[in-house]
Amino acid sequence: MSSNRELTMSSYVGIGVGLMLIVCFEVILTYQHMAPRTLLFALLCLACLEAYVGVMYLMHVRYERPILFWTIFPATLFVLGFLCYLFPDAFRMLNMRLMK
Amino acid sequence: MSQSELTIAAGHEVVMEASPYGIEKKKLGMWVFIVSDACTFGAFLFAYGYMRIGAPVWGTPFEFSSILNGMIMTAVLLSSSLTMLAAVRAAQAGERASVSKWMGATMLLGAVFAALHLREWFNLIGEGWRLFANPTGGPAQFGATFFSVTGLHLTHVVTGVIALGFVARGYNQGRYDQSHIETAGLYWHFVDLVWMFVFPLMYLMNAH
Repeated sequence: MSSNRELTMSSYVGIGVGLMLIVCFEVILTYQHMAPRTLLFALLCLACLEAYVGVMYLMHVRYERPILFWTIFPATLFVLGFLCYLFPDAFRMLNMRLMK
Repeated sequence: MSQSELTIAAGHEVVMEASPYGIEKKKLGMWVFIVSDACTFGAFLFAYGYMRIGAPVWGTPFEFSSILNGMIMTAVLLSSSLTMLAAVRAAQAGERASVSKWMGATMLLGAVFAALHLREWFNLIGEGWRLFANPTGGPAQFGATFFSVTGLHLTHVVTGVIALGFVARGYNQGRYDQSHIETAGLYWHFVDLVWMFVFPLMYLMNAH
């Protein structure tokens, strides 16, 4: 993952333009009359793609040692995924009642 | 020789090992903070997504003008990330005057973003949306989630602009070096990437 050759400034501008194009695509998707669940899934996928590009290039993780990536990101993704698993359970527990 | 690869030898005895990450401890500390902040935003945004999909009635107040304003805000924040990158590269090249210029541009763009965001807030407040009020008479969940999540992001932007000012001043005075600029840049890019999630979830999911 680490590389001695960083991009030029014009390449970073290209990356910024690419991210803005993804945002424009998200806006186009918004006005396609999709179901909210489908739209949310599509927007989240595109946002994750933007985050990946940003983390790798803007935050320079691509040019750091691989151990930095493998230490931080699997743990973070695990926590975020676990939120998806635990949060609906909170609503279920709210509806539980003790027997009198 | 970077601090992370520095080993101190006392006589024939090595007393400090090099970091396995190959980065300075302030940069690793910033990464740990970013992870914790990402989990915070993740919790807020996931809770919002769950409520947005599960609620039978939800306010969608954003006309296309608000979406366009959001796109301009996104472009401003992306541009500020590029100017921050330019500041980091100038610091690595030892160009002190350029660093001040690019950090100033980043702070200016951050302030423009905050101003645009506050304008959007005041428009919504003028229409009657509050943290706990819905002018259309429905549930107040839109207001509660929108103002709290975007407010948290706006706080990060404003404190980031202030922090960048302190770092730029310290660098100019010679108290800080290029590693401080890099570390501050990491925080700023994180704020930008969080907006990549906030804009689609908070604005596009609530487009009228």
